[in-house]
Amino acid sequence: MTARIHPLLGAFAILVFLFLLAPLVIIVGASLSDTTYLTFPPQGLTLRWFANIFEISAFRNTAITSFQVAILGTGLSLLIGIPAAYALNRYRVGLPKWLGTLFILPILVPEIVFGFSLLKTITIGLGLPVYPSLIIGHALLVLPYSVRVVGASLASFDFSVEEAAISLGCPPLKTFFTVVLPNIRAGVIAAFILAFITSINDVSISVFLTGPGISTLPIQILAHMEQFFDPTIASVSVLLMLVTVGVMAIVEMTLGLTFLTK
Amino acid sequence: MTVSLTIENLSAHYGQTQVLKDLSISVAAGELVSLLGSSGCGKTTTLRIVAGFLAPTSGHVKLGDRDLTTLPAHARDIGLVFQNYALFPHLTVMENVAFGLKQRGISSSDRAKRATAMLERVGLAPLADRLPAALSGGQKQRVALARALVIEPPLLMFDEPLSNLDAKLRVDMRVEIRQLQKANGTTSLYVTHDQEEAFSISDRVAIMNAGRIMQLDTPEVLYQKPANAFVARFVGFENLIPMKTVARDGVIVTAEAAGGARLHLSQDAFGPIKDDFVLATRPDGLVTRGTGEGIPATLGTRTYLGRAYQYKCETAAGEITANGALSEMFEPGATAVLVPLPEQCCILDPEN
Amino acid sequence: MNKFAKWGLTLPATIAVTLLLVVPVLITIATTFGEPKGVFSTYTAFFNSGFRTNILYRTLRIALITTAISLVIGFLTAYVIAQMPGRLKSIAIIAAVFPLLTGVVVRSFAWLIILGKNGILNSSLLSLGIISEPLSMLYTEGSVIVAMVYLFVPLMILTLTGVLEGIPRDVVEASASLGARPIATFFQVILPLAVPGLIVGAVLVFTGSFTSYATPQLLGGEQMMMMGTLLYQRAMVTFDWVGASTIAAIMVVITIAVVSIMSRIARRLNPMAV
Repeated sequence: MTARIHPLLGAFAILVFLFLLAPLVIIVGASLSDTTYLTFPPQGLTLRWFANIFEISAFRNTAITSFQVAILGTGLSLLIGIPAAYALNRYRVGLPKWLGTLFILPILVPEIVFGFSLLKTITIGLGLPVYPSLIIGHALLVLPYSVRVVGASLASFDFSVEEAAISLGCPPLKTFFTVVLPNIRAGVIAAFILAFITSINDVSISVFLTGPGISTLPIQILAHMEQFFDPTIASVSVLLMLVTVGVMAIVEMTLGLTFLTK
Repeated sequence: MTVSLTIENLSAHYGQTQVLKDLSISVAAGELVSLLGSSGCGKTTTLRIVAGFLAPTSGHVKLGDRDLTTLPAHARDIGLVFQNYALFPHLTVMENVAFGLKQRGISSSDRAKRATAMLERVGLAPLADRLPAALSGGQKQRVALARALVIEPPLLMFDEPLSNLDAKLRVDMRVEIRQLQKANGTTSLYVTHDQEEAFSISDRVAIMNAGRIMQLDTPEVLYQKPANAFVARFVGFENLIPMKTVARDGVIVTAEAAGGARLHLSQDAFGPIKDDFVLATRPDGLVTRGTGEGIPATLGTRTYLGRAYQYKCETAAGEITANGALSEMFEPGATAVLVPLPEQCCILDPEN
Repeated sequence: MNKFAKWGLTLPATIAVTLLLVVPVLITIATTFGEPKGVFSTYTAFFNSGFRTNILYRTLRIALITTAISLVIGFLTAYVIAQMPGRLKSIAIIAAVFPLLTGVVVRSFAWLIILGKNGILNSSLLSLGIISEPLSMLYTEGSVIVAMVYLFVPLMILTLTGVLEGIPRDVVEASASLGARPIATFFQVILPLAVPGLIVGAVLVFTGSFTSYATPQLLGGEQMMMMGTLLYQRAMVTFDWVGASTIAAIMVVITIAVVSIMSRIARRLNPMAV
């Protein structure tokens, strides 16, 4: 659809974008302020709050945990999600409909309920240590991305190509890796990125699954905020935003960002 | 109310590319003119400018004496039939047809009356309460037609309206469109890439290429007397043989093709013949014979067409496609003479 | 072979979701019915507590207001984006995606800096002389709603841009060619065709804000608890696990009810499917 835009509507959209971006600019400004309290515009410029992050071991440790959990959780979710997505698209008729719904349950069930239930039944009930519980929680949380996003690119994959490869003598498993996977690369990358970002930013599940010495970065930020309200928090936030910028740059280079509206 | 459509010196650009070059057409009141050409020739751009969806770089569009050029699309009062039907998927057949009447502030009882009458004319009254998704392609196109006609526009435009239908339906629908258009006497502009469709439905056809009109004429003239090499090729004159006049004797001109083959052509049949010209024929305008006056050729691949054989021929003037009688079959590699049939040939200016 | 493959390939994910999500959540819900005082005693207790029902109503209210505001802002912005030429459109989408990919904690934190007692808004209003002493804006329903709208508008914009781009251009042009003014085209063609998408967006925002934890924790505090923060408090501060499970059960029921009812309505309203 294309139509002319009323100037008032255009002005409104500009205000919306200001509303969306200004708070992030404010965080960046506040992280550079040479004051012991959070303020904007920054008074004096310093990078000492960034240096301060690295001096607080809790930030260092939780950042490492967050990355580990995000990578392992996302990896696990792709490991079980890609075969499921493949089966759902390849054998569409033969599989019951509820199976598709089952795989998006982690989005449907409130995250905070899932986190609590996991703590209650698996961590406490079965005595599973916190760290594996955390990874399991994150893997399930991001499973819908693996199944749906990979599924979306499988949906436009022509499976007769796979049959052609098999008829030419390529074994099924090899066919999957040499013929199918390269063609759904974009979907796998997209799923990985969405899952990774979701995991690294998660609060509602992680908040239940932290234990002695184990916590994630967002939870550590929340804890830090309860005691201190200094620019360190702003500088950690900026670092997290830089991770996002990096990831978006990867998306732009590999897929083009417009794929996100599809 | 029938009025003429005048398109004057229209130019249009997409960014840096010029897609229409000083294009002028006039469509007489009640006439149906087709714009025919391959994709990218500018036919759809022309239609979209007339409809008001694109602004021309220069030039004017007039309907009767009303200048439309700067009018917004919704104020132009043109009935448009789209390639993909463009029915409103959330409205029933009846509501789709009544949509334009509603925009004109016509009372709901009048709307219903006029929409019903129009649906009856296109034979869809029983489906009035269906949603478009429940209709077949042909039915959708009838609704689109009814929707465009019911507002009684002074100008109807069609943008490849039949290209999504299967072959048989396409033929039925174009007859139906032509009947409705004639009965209403609505001035119409019809865009298509299908030659048969354009020729069968139109009073006149404009063959377009690269943003220009190559020839605007009745289908008969276009088919038999193309004005230039582009139009000739477009209407199936596959063989374009450059010739040079070597002698003139009254109305008879002796001309020579590359390789020295000579032909005698009568200016009574072809009109004045210049010194340099091109002889254009369809494959069935050149007959393979064992002997006679014509162009010597070595015959290549033979295909069976049912009414004749067709040969790919190597000649000194290049590759030529010619037909031969079923009674006189040649094997690949044989030599023969290609004899032009004057009534199926035409004479063109050389291409530059 | 096929039979083995099609079930075998879905098996790991099926087992994982069933054992690690469905069963734990069902157990959590089941424990709420095992109280000695009666099967529904925990629910009677919940609904008899003014404190807790207030939190439920507040959560519903905040979620509804957030959804309504996000719908309007998101739809109008998406409408503008959908009309933009290619390059500008990519920039606009990046600008909308960026906040979406930034974490909830970071985005909520921004509003602490803005709305705090010594925050930017107060200091600007003070220096402009509009107010004479700082307003308490934090820990109010208003602050939670502003932050939630901020959280969910990008999601709405992205969803609705996709929906609006899916409306065929020629349908909009057909409307104009039939004499509809732009405003008539908007209300009679574009809006009705966007309704299923609006419902999808609304469900996403409603369930997201209804079940949120970090934002009410930061911007609502003890005063403006929502269901998510209440659940956490019952589970991890007062260790009232049955109470927490009851809250969990209520959240699950409301979420699933909203999702299934609204998606049914969306499906019925979708004119493309018959």
